[in-house]
Amino acid sequence: MAGHCPPIRLVACGCITPFGDARETCSGLAEGDSALRPVPLLGRMGGDLVPLALLGGRALDDTCPPAWLAALKSLGALIPGEGWGTPRRPVFVTGSNFGVGGLYALRRFGDPSFAAWGAPPTCTEQVRRELGWGPDVSIVSHACVSAHLGLLQATRVVHAGLADQALVFSFDFLSPFVTGGFHALKILNSDFPAPFRERASSSIGLGDGAAFAVVSREGGDWIIDGQSLFNEMHHFTSNRSDGSGFEACLEGVRSEARGLKVWVKGHGTGTLDAGRLEVAAVSKAFPSAPIVGWKGSLGHTLGSCGLVEMAVAVEAMRSGIAPGILAGAGDAMSPDVAIANFTTGTYDGVVCASNAFGGAHAAFLLRHA
Amino acid sequence: MLERHIQILVTDDPGPEGPAATRERLKGHFPPGATRRMTTLGMIVGHALSRLEPAQDDAIVYATEYSESRALEDFLDSFPTPSPTLFQTSIHPSAVQQLMIGRQKAIGEFMPLSGGALLAFHALRASMTSACERVLLCGGDETGTWLLDHKLASERAFGFAVALTRSPGPGTLGTVRIVQSEGDGSLSLPQLFDLLHKRSGFDGMVAPGWRMSLEWR
Repeated sequence: MAGHCPPIRLVACGCITPFGDARETCSGLAEGDSALRPVPLLGRMGGDLVPLALLGGRALDDTCPPAWLAALKSLGALIPGEGWGTPRRPVFVTGSNFGVGGLYALRRFGDPSFAAWGAPPTCTEQVRRELGWGPDVSIVSHACVSAHLGLLQATRVVHAGLADQALVFSFDFLSPFVTGGFHALKILNSDFPAPFRERASSSIGLGDGAAFAVVSREGGDWIIDGQSLFNEMHHFTSNRSDGSGFEACLEGVRSEARGLKVWVKGHGTGTLDAGRLEVAAVSKAFPSAPIVGWKGSLGHTLGSCGLVEMAVAVEAMRSGIAPGILAGAGDAMSPDVAIANFTTGTYDGVVCASNAFGGAHAAFLLRHA
Repeated sequence: MLERHIQILVTDDPGPEGPAATRERLKGHFPPGATRRMTTLGMIVGHALSRLEPAQDDAIVYATEYSESRALEDFLDSFPTPSPTLFQTSIHPSAVQQLMIGRQKAIGEFMPLSGGALLAFHALRASMTSACERVLLCGGDETGTWLLDHKLASERAFGFAVALTRSPGPGTLGTVRIVQSEGDGSLSLPQLFDLLHKRSGFDGMVAPGWRMSLEWR
C-alpha cells in the first residue's frame, strides 16, 4: 500500500446527485429510493434501456454549454472561502470523463462548439472560469479512484506547508460515450444493480455526480486518515482472483483504524467477482464491520464516486443513520453486508473505499475530530 | 523549497517520424505480440518508463495533456457499436497501464495527471510531495488526426521518463527544485520535455507563485 501521509482536517464537503445535496441523498438512500431509471443507451440515438441516474431534467446527450453546468455552479457556490486556484489555495479537479460527452456530440453531430468542452484541459478551463478560480488547478484522472488521488495530493500540499487550504472538486456526468463503453463491456445491461448481493449475473448502473472537499491542517469536525493506494496492474478491467489488491490497499487503512469501531462504505458497483473479493477483504481487515454500497441506488458516479460517497458518509455520521443496501434483491454476500439501515452513533469512523480499472484501489478512514 | 535529484533520464522525440514508423522502431522493446493492442503513446511512454525498471515501492506520476488520442478517435468512430477494447484503451492513464499490465508489475502509488499550461509544474509538485523515496515521473503525448483539427490533440509526439530521488548519488544527472516565489509564468509538458531532452538548464517561473530551477551535472 502507498500514499502514506499524516491525517488532515476535512473543513467542508458537499455533493450533488439526482437526489439533491448530501443531506437529501442520504435521506433518499435511507428511505430506499433509487435514482436509477431505464434510459436508452445512446440517448437520442436509441439503444437498449439501461439503468442511469441523471440529474433532474437532464438528457443523456450533451448540450453546449453542458446542461450539467448549472448544477456544478450551484455546488461551487457552496464552497467556503475565496481565492481558490491561487498558490496558497490550490484546486485539484478530479474526474474520469470531463467533457467527453461533448466530444461524442462533436463527432456524431458535427457541431464544432462542443470542442471547447471536449478534453480534460479544455473542459476544466471552462469550469475554472465559470467558478471564478485562479489558474492553479491541477487535473487528476485515474478512472474511478480519481477523487481519492485528488484528496491525497491536496493533503500533501497542505502538510508540506505549500498551501493553507486545498480544494478537491470532482465531477462526472454521463454521456453516450460512457454508457456505450460500459455496455460494450457487457456490465451495463438491462438489469438493475444489486451491490454485494448474490445473483445470476453482474450488472451496474451509472449516475451523474459531483462533490467537493476542503482540507486544512486545522478546523472542521472530521479527520481523513490512512489514505492508501494500490494498483494491481494485473488486467485492464479485472482484479486478481485472490483478492490481494483489495487486501493490500485496506491494510494501509487498517493500521490507522486499530482500536476504533468503524463501518465501511465499499465500492460495490454490482459486478459479482469484484463484489465478492471486496466483501472478503473488508471482512478480513475489519471483522464484523458493516459494509454498505450505494451504487445500486445512486448509480456509479465514476471518477467522482469517492468524494460523492464521502459526502454522503459524512451526512450519515452527522444524522446518525447510515443507509443500507436497500437496492436490488438476492442474498447478501456476507453477514457483514448491511442490507438495512443502521445507526452510526456508536461508531468512531467510516472507511471509504473505491476501486477502478487496472485493478486500482484507494481507501481512507474518516473519523471524528 | 522542494528538491529532487535526477538519477535516470530517458527521452524519445520522434520528430517528423509518423506513428507507423515509431511503432516499428519501438516494437522490439516489447514481448512479441504485445504491441498489437498498444497505442503509439503507450509504446513511447512504456519504452521510456521500462528503462527505469519500476518497482512496487516506487511512485509513478504520469502526465499527458491529451492521452490516447488515436484510440479515442477510433472509439468514437466505432459507434453505434462501440468497441470494448478501444473503450479500455482510450481511458486516461492507459499508456502506463499498457506497460505495467504487460509486465504484471503492481505498484503502490500511480498518479495520472492531465492539464495545459501548468501541467509540467503540477506533475513536478505531485512528484516532489510524494512520500516515496523514488518517484518515476513520466509523460508524453501522441499526435491526433481529426481531434487535432479541433485543437483537442497534440501536434507532436514525445515521451519521457525520469527517476527522481530525495538524495543525490554518484550517478546523479541533475537536480530540480521548485520554490514559492513572487511572479507569474507557465511550463507546459512539451516545454518540460524539451528541457529534459536537450538537458537544458532552467531558472524561471513555471506557474503563478512558483519558480523552478533545473541544473545538470
